[in-house]
Amino acid sequence: MSDTNLTINRRHLLKTAGGAALVLGMPGLTGRAQAATTITVADPGGPFGPAFRKAFYDPFEKATGIKVVNVAREAEPTAQFKAIVETKSYTWDVCTLTLSARDILVKQNLLEPIGFTRDAAPGLMPEAITDHWMGTDVYSTVFAYRNDHFKDNAPKSWADFWNVEKFPGRRSLRKNPIDSLEQALMADGVSIDQLYPLDVDRAFKNLDKIKQHIAVWWTGGAQSTQLLQSGEVDIISGWNARLQSAIDGGAPATIVWEQGLYSIEGWAIPKGNPRADAAKQFIKFCSAPDRQAAFTEVLAYGPTNLDAYKSISADRAKVLPTSPENLKKMRVANENWWSENRAAVTERFNSWLLT
Amino acid sequence: MSGKGIASMTAITAPALPLRQRLLRPNALWLAAPGIAFLAIFFLFPVLRLLSLSVQDPASGALSVATYARIANTDVYLQVLGITFKIAANTALFSILLGYPLAYWLAGLKDGLRERMVLLVMVPFWTSYLVKTFAWMVVLGRTGVINSMLTGSGLASQPLPLAYNEFGVMVGMVHAMVPLAVLTMLPVMIGIDRRLIQAAQALGAAPAQSFWLVYFKLSLPGVTAGGLLVFISSLGFFIVPALLGGRRETMLAQLIITQVQELLNWAFAGALAAMMLVAALVTVWIYDRLFGLSSLSGETSGQEGGTGRLRLLGLSILRVVAKASALLADVVRRVIGTRGTSKLLSIYCTLALMFLVLPTLLVIPIGFTSSQFLEFPPPGYSLQWFETYFSSPVWLSATLRSFGVAAATAICATVIGGLAALALARSNTRWGGLVFAAFLAPMIVPRIIIAVGLFYLFAQIGLIATDLGLVIGHTVLALPFAFVTITAILKNYDWRLDQAAAVLGANRVKTLFLVTVPLVKGGLVAAFLFAFITSFDELTIAIFVSGGIKTTLPKQMWDDMILQLNPTLAAVSVVVFVIVTVLLLLAERFRRTT
Repeated sequence: MSDTNLTINRRHLLKTAGGAALVLGMPGLTGRAQAATTITVADPGGPFGPAFRKAFYDPFEKATGIKVVNVAREAEPTAQFKAIVETKSYTWDVCTLTLSARDILVKQNLLEPIGFTRDAAPGLMPEAITDHWMGTDVYSTVFAYRNDHFKDNAPKSWADFWNVEKFPGRRSLRKNPIDSLEQALMADGVSIDQLYPLDVDRAFKNLDKIKQHIAVWWTGGAQSTQLLQSGEVDIISGWNARLQSAIDGGAPATIVWEQGLYSIEGWAIPKGNPRADAAKQFIKFCSAPDRQAAFTEVLAYGPTNLDAYKSISADRAKVLPTSPENLKKMRVANENWWSENRAAVTERFNSWLLT
Repeated sequence: MSGKGIASMTAITAPALPLRQRLLRPNALWLAAPGIAFLAIFFLFPVLRLLSLSVQDPASGALSVATYARIANTDVYLQVLGITFKIAANTALFSILLGYPLAYWLAGLKDGLRERMVLLVMVPFWTSYLVKTFAWMVVLGRTGVINSMLTGSGLASQPLPLAYNEFGVMVGMVHAMVPLAVLTMLPVMIGIDRRLIQAAQALGAAPAQSFWLVYFKLSLPGVTAGGLLVFISSLGFFIVPALLGGRRETMLAQLIITQVQELLNWAFAGALAAMMLVAALVTVWIYDRLFGLSSLSGETSGQEGGTGRLRLLGLSILRVVAKASALLADVVRRVIGTRGTSKLLSIYCTLALMFLVLPTLLVIPIGFTSSQFLEFPPPGYSLQWFETYFSSPVWLSATLRSFGVAAATAICATVIGGLAALALARSNTRWGGLVFAAFLAPMIVPRIIIAVGLFYLFAQIGLIATDLGLVIGHTVLALPFAFVTITAILKNYDWRLDQAAAVLGANRVKTLFLVTVPLVKGGLVAAFLFAFITSFDELTIAIFVSGGIKTTLPKQMWDDMILQLNPTLAAVSVVVFVIVTVLLLLAERFRRTT
């Protein structure tokens, strides 16, 4: 009984704090909130753990009485999802997925519907919510260069990245066809609005031109940070937050948002989960603008609920992918094209690397 | 694998009894039964279940060879297989080349000194692969330690390309594998009676000849075992080529992981794994024919039967090598004098030991850095990363769990593997080769395949996210190391000592514990340590079986570094390093006083 009272009080508090939309959407659920329920949430680990705890987990526990245990998931936890669902051993109740992981899992029917629509959180970017998934944070694939190397002659586009005469320096690209193909096409003059469907042959033709000039093919986010920070390379493609963390650590570098491709990570529930109700409640909770604004204090990822910018400082907004200034320079990477073509293009890319 | 070869060799000595009688009579081979049962349940069954996906049509479940057709019709997979084998073979070659003189030197030291030096050789073991590899990036990079010294001193005008190419991968892999090579060769070398060399020299052999024709030949079981262990463990590497390699250094494990985790095409992953498995088995079979791997499976000398011609060839090669090295030694002696020559070995060994401890030496100051990055030299010092570690219940419980799981794994693997090794050494049966293959197999199958297979099995029997599940999974991986190490030491064991004990009235159990075990102690300790380290540094099984909740140290490090690498990893490495050193020194003291 006392639990119910507490919940109501907190609900009231939250309402005044600006979380009205989400809480009103789930009175039935909250009423049933079991004091003893615990959900296990798999986040990307590393800096996400503490940032999400502060922005989502603790406030959610307070609001609903449902305890949140967080664990770190793999970069692409699709194998775990498949194994969890097929063996019905639900070690995770909610997990963040990239768009590509989401599409693979939806196709194999391994996700539970999240049970609410954009009406519940109108500030959400339209591409940040589907039947089975809700985006929480936006990351962008951009490039960064070392100021101490390029000085006044700074590269501004992928065409400049490809121009080894005018912008000499050690270069690094990701050892993966995703994004690299788009970058090659933009460098070849394809406009960011007309990338898809990708002209794969043209992309590889332009990649041929830069192949010999790539000093390092990076394979992991932490590695890209290290390459930029140590000055191993002078110009590097990468995920904005990873490059930003080198800059935050004092590396003299600049991120170029022009022609960036963004993508979204978000929550999903393994199909058949016995705690799906609590999990859905949690996901909905994470759509609130004030909660999303809270994680951007620590992480340089963009909120998916653009209303969050009302409470984010202008200085911080500058390094976030979804701030109006940055967002207009970029487009979302087309996951449909990639889920259709990824296997074949990956094979071709791996083969291309070896020759 | 080498089954046929070994079987035909061992069968020669087996008494010609009818099959049924041979199977039923009391046979030492039964000692291998626990290990075989363990592997059948926790390795063979889950892996075969997963590999069977590769011959099924994902939609209809009907038999299909489409995945294999795709491998055959696309050259990239066979190319990557070739690269994988080349890198693994070179790693084995260089680990043995670099490790042999070191093991030789260690074998000649007094017991106490040797044990302390072995601790140095093992230093790389106690630093996680992840941290070691990042340390090499700091050492070998363009702005790294070596290049700064070279350009700073004017020895080189341009930074040398030491990383992000084949050289970088070789440095990372050889560094990780030299301890394995040395510790496999060492017990065999210690077992060699050095008076044999004196005898050879008294009979007129030059030092080079007595070395190559007597000592080296006697140390060959260790060399073969070490080379094989390194080769096979190297086949599954993916962290080192991913972080230190260039465009071309892609290994098959990386492609399999992409298929399993990113593309979720398990049928194709199964096909790739099966291809790697078959290729590895063929290689081991050829290796057996060339180098007489059979010497490992417990067959005693002088019964080499079918390999007679190869054996003669081997001996004549050794003779040529002996002559060549005698000539070389002459030249060297003339150039730097006898005194210089006698110091060469210790100079070399000092350099080799420096190579082994270098990354760890770097990690220690980085643990105390004030920077947010793994950079060397640190711009300033602070204890913040140790504070992060000691104030985090997640890190602390992961550390405790890793030590506990590794200790349990080491005990299980040493006992099960030791019994199996004993079984093979003491029984003359045609099944020996098969048993040998079975115990080596977990090394050849990529870990991600074992991990996914085990996840399915464990989910069915409720072992997900349990410590027991981790111990079982790690024991599967550690068994081959324990088994091969003990087999190699038993190879040189004089069984007449057991017979003597029996004659003097000891029963079998008594003989085992009072005679055999104390005499092969070196091998048992090495097996225990290999198994311990295999578990302590294991990541893939931990990722699947722990469910993220029962996290181990490597898993926690991995989670922490996927996105952001910070010096907490270095601080953790320092803590682990100190704990392990203290434990090893205490164990050493305890052993000496009792």
